[in-house]
Amino acid sequence: MNNENNYINQSRPHDSAIKHVSGHAEYTDDIKEPPGTLFGAIGWSKKAKAIIKKINLNEVKKSEGVVAVVNYLDIPGRNDVGPVYDGDPIFSKDKVEFYGQPLFAVAAHTTELARKAVLKAKVSYKELKPTTSIEEALKKNNLLFNVKKIKRGNASEAISKSKNILKGDFTTGSQEHFYLEGQVAFTIPKEGNELLVYSSTQHPSETQQIISKMLKQKSNSVTVLVRRIGGGFGGKETNFMTASICALLSHKTRCPVKLKLDRDDDIIITGKRHEFKSYYEVGFDDNGIIDGLKIKLASKCGMSPDLSLAINERALLHIDNAYYLKNIEVENYLCKTNTSTSTAFRGFGGNQGMMAIENIIDNISRSLNKDPYEVRKLNFYQKNKKNITHYGMKIEDNVIHEIFKRLIKKSNYKKRYNKIREYNSKNKFKKKGIAITPVKFGISFTTIHLNQAGALVHIYTDGSIYLNHGGIEMGQGTHTKIAQLVAHSFGLPYEKIQISSTNTSKVPNTSASAASSTTDLNGAAALNAVSKLKKNLEKFIKLKYKIFGKKTPIYKGGYIIFGNRSFKFEKIVQEAYLNRVSLSSSGFYSTPKIKFNKEKFIGRPFYYFCYGAAVSEVTIDTLTGENVLEKVDIIHDAGNTINPSLELGQIEGGFVQGQGWLTMEEVKWKDNGEITTFSPSTYKIPAVSDIPKEFNVEIFKDGNNKENVVNKSKTTGEPPLMLAMSVFFAIKDAIASVGNYKKIPNLNAPATPENILMSIKKIKKNRSYGE
Amino acid sequence: MSSNAVEFVFENKIIKIKNPDPNETILNYVRLNLKKTGTKEGCAEGGCGACTVVLGEIKNNKIFYKSINSCITFLPVLNGKQLILVENLSSKEGKLHPVQDAMVNFHGSQCGFCTPGFVMSMFTMFKNNKSIDNELINDSLSGNLCRCTGYRPIVDAAKSLNHLSRYDHFDKDKPIILKLLKKINKKNIEITSNYKKYFAPKTVKDLKKILKKVKNAKLLSGGTDLSLEVTKKRKDLKKIIYLGSIKELNFIKIYKSEMNIGATTSLINFEKQIKKYYLDFYNILKRYGSVQIRNIGTIAGNIATASPIGDTLPLLMVLDAKVVIDGNNGKKTISINDFFIGYRKTKLKPGDFIFSIKIPLLKHNIFKAYKISKRFDDDISSVCGSFNLEIDKNLIKKVRIAFGGMSEVPKRALKTEKILANSKFSQETFNKATKNLEKDYSPIDDMRASKQYRLEIAKNLLLKCFFEIKNQKMLRINQ
Repeated sequence: MNNENNYINQSRPHDSAIKHVSGHAEYTDDIKEPPGTLFGAIGWSKKAKAIIKKINLNEVKKSEGVVAVVNYLDIPGRNDVGPVYDGDPIFSKDKVEFYGQPLFAVAAHTTELARKAVLKAKVSYKELKPTTSIEEALKKNNLLFNVKKIKRGNASEAISKSKNILKGDFTTGSQEHFYLEGQVAFTIPKEGNELLVYSSTQHPSETQQIISKMLKQKSNSVTVLVRRIGGGFGGKETNFMTASICALLSHKTRCPVKLKLDRDDDIIITGKRHEFKSYYEVGFDDNGIIDGLKIKLASKCGMSPDLSLAINERALLHIDNAYYLKNIEVENYLCKTNTSTSTAFRGFGGNQGMMAIENIIDNISRSLNKDPYEVRKLNFYQKNKKNITHYGMKIEDNVIHEIFKRLIKKSNYKKRYNKIREYNSKNKFKKKGIAITPVKFGISFTTIHLNQAGALVHIYTDGSIYLNHGGIEMGQGTHTKIAQLVAHSFGLPYEKIQISSTNTSKVPNTSASAASSTTDLNGAAALNAVSKLKKNLEKFIKLKYKIFGKKTPIYKGGYIIFGNRSFKFEKIVQEAYLNRVSLSSSGFYSTPKIKFNKEKFIGRPFYYFCYGAAVSEVTIDTLTGENVLEKVDIIHDAGNTINPSLELGQIEGGFVQGQGWLTMEEVKWKDNGEITTFSPSTYKIPAVSDIPKEFNVEIFKDGNNKENVVNKSKTTGEPPLMLAMSVFFAIKDAIASVGNYKKIPNLNAPATPENILMSIKKIKKNRSYGE
Repeated sequence: MSSNAVEFVFENKIIKIKNPDPNETILNYVRLNLKKTGTKEGCAEGGCGACTVVLGEIKNNKIFYKSINSCITFLPVLNGKQLILVENLSSKEGKLHPVQDAMVNFHGSQCGFCTPGFVMSMFTMFKNNKSIDNELINDSLSGNLCRCTGYRPIVDAAKSLNHLSRYDHFDKDKPIILKLLKKINKKNIEITSNYKKYFAPKTVKDLKKILKKVKNAKLLSGGTDLSLEVTKKRKDLKKIIYLGSIKELNFIKIYKSEMNIGATTSLINFEKQIKKYYLDFYNILKRYGSVQIRNIGTIAGNIATASPIGDTLPLLMVLDAKVVIDGNNGKKTISINDFFIGYRKTKLKPGDFIFSIKIPLLKHNIFKAYKISKRFDDDISSVCGSFNLEIDKNLIKKVRIAFGGMSEVPKRALKTEKILANSKFSQETFNKATKNLEKDYSPIDDMRASKQYRLEIAKNLLLKCFFEIKNQKMLRINQ
């Protein structure tokens, strides 16, 4: 493929691409079951808040094909899957807190029979009134944690002295992950109490720990394996319910058990993105520069803490997006509601915080009758001043000015902005809108200890390499990229590297594949292992072939080259083996420089920032609220990329997922807490015809990570999702045209046709009274 | 004489299954019995496309390919067809099929779980079409959801196929496959599996006999709605009579003043014909569902299920289509406007079946239809509105208006029609008429739309219809 054996900065297909297209990529449900395997299903609560009076499972037990039924009484150890705090019982004992809460499970001879059986339970409840909305939870003071307050400067004073003040509230909705492969696990009991677990999870190590605690066994008796998962997006970061219940059924029956959630059950039982509501007061000058901001940030956390604290923390850390906020005061409310526990989802609160500030900036611009682009630019962090965030971190890698400048030019923003205004003055039913929005997203787990990773690399005597690390392949191509790094470092053809299943018995105590950090952390750990192996080989060569001095060799084209002497890799490996040199090494990495005091909310929580910007143009139908995304231009900073095609895939895919979040995806609950959008017929994610009619994505050409990240690259996991903010504000711009840009549209996310039409209606109504 | 076995061609062999469970889906059979796990279950309701497989059907000594959702199609429906799975696309030597190659080269897969479904939809598109454009790609792939890629690389992969040769190993093997398909029995099918029965008669005469003998059977046509009783509600369908093998019910006849469509005509075949007469009917059918759904879904099925949001129903109502009912109670023709009697209730009696639908081909009218949904393609309407007007010298001579999603049945706006009929064609008239829609309908709030929004759109669609006629142009952002 490349004579230079340069396997980085090079596009190559996803390592599994050929297997994907030919149906041979194996997912958990595809693993062939040994004879005697049983199949599970979960029975869950039909009430959102209730005391359980009685559960009668007689009919379930008698149902055709049922072998075992388990409930909380069958759990030998911890009855909880909460990752940080308790609060997520595997099976509830006497009360239920959301519609869909697991009560019991069955193992039967087929999945169909198990699913039929669970419907036969007779449960009597004493119903209580559920809390289903943020507003209601705030009113009742239903909070999971104490209110968190952070501040810098004096926002109240700054606002009181400001020439202009705006107040308002703004909501961004929830979102279902809709990974195409649903939650699924396959557990096989081995000798003694050993258990082998296959699970579709982003977090094998925690799956291992939670199952061990549930079964009251040591962690070393449980092994978790993951070859690949069919999408995660955060939805498989902490959802340990499926694997735990599967393991419990295996424990009870001593048989292999497969548990695959039906799509409806998956959406009903598992958590989603946090809905956020913000109440703000902002003071600003006549140019739109923010003097002071007071904001109350409330999130719908569902029935338990799960990761809500970390998610809200990231929202607080991204309330600035790319803007310098001199005086700021934030109060953060984590609302407890009777809905499934809200959980991680690409962006992890960051996107909700960023939407809040972007909406404020948009409103400021509209109130001053200015192009939001100008106001955004004026509020940006500067390079040498105004570069300290509200949590005290100095921004040293700011490239948002450069990206904005280039994108404005490339997209022809200014000309289009004026043309659109002209178009709108001539068209009554179709209105166009345009917006440019920036992204600055902090990279690292904000829980500092999670920023570590391990790897295991073997060289076999034929010169082939076996690569294992703690990262999960969920489509992002982390295995491909890390194999590229390893191949490059060894100077070997990519094909020499064997990618393998993530396995808790090979690399222990791993962090979740999350926080966009998988390749950064695990890639570095793999390279650490490679460097140790190289040291062994070099020491051996020097000794044997009498090469003196501190000379370091070059690894290239399958050779190890010391000046004018070169050694064929395969040959030297064989020799090293015969001379009893270790050809296997673990690797480790921990991110440097980061520290963060969560109490004082001060420090450097992020190793670096990712930047990007997008321009979106939309057309809306003012009679129906329908909308079309006409054109999108993106420039996104991926640093010095390892594999440009895979990064491009992340950028485009992240954008469209964000577009779904902000336009059509709507999770709805009835007042009684029942979710009503639990299938693809009621919950709509973008389809092929929804993507921008013209879609231009450019990876920032001057991208380079200032920090010492693998290949000086930057992650593209979460940040591109936020590029879709431009779609929302383009829609808002189009709505504003209905009131001749004199009224600020009242629009919450998602901007569904319904919300758009209702927003238009309000503007029209205001106009008839006001003008 | 009837047979109790289902026979189909798979990997150039005939597979024969005696008395299979008629509630088993093709997806489960493929994964659990054939042990081919490339085909995935994403939703078990035909909404995501991960389970897409291709059926080959013989017609005039040719094989026609269609993609279907294997998760909602019952196994016996395979009888007499060729089944193609994602594992079958590469050559025996392991060379990737052009569609697979394109998906690899354009980075069309990320997590890979939706990929086999996309590959199968793309295969059908590739084999059935000589030229590929954006419209065809959007239509062919709208029933396949991908959560990772944002679709751009998949679309590019599809576009790259345009100039490639369609000839592949399926063409090479065609003589064998044709021979095998012809060998499969032509008998009626009657399956008994435990307590479940399945009948697939070949003629209307046999259908009537079975209807007389078997009470309370479910009539299965495309099954895109009926199958959910099994895959979602986990019920048993104990008695099924499949209509898809009856050739007499699969026809489209076009006369001077009407089109007669046989009950089991697939929506995809129907849409091609109706396009010439009512463009908006075609536009709505394209958005009725994915290609996979329209390949097996039928117009009679849409009518018989009587869903309040059935997308063809308001259109048929304003065109005053006729439903031809046959069965053991005799043959009769009734207006579709008299057909629905309540929520999912119709005038069909036990022993009845729909024979055909007759749609008048009007000459002097203006026909319009609009579908409003959260997502443009493959979504269920919040509101579907249809209008049929005859205007002469600025006077509205005839008018019919019907809406889906506004009531428990698709319903005409009779009070609003009264305001419009014999009135001047003017904005004033239409403004007045919109106010009457509230008297015709009291819609509900649900996950798709609020009551208020539904009413608002209904009014605005009436106005849109007016402005489109007045300005003689389409005021739509998507077309």
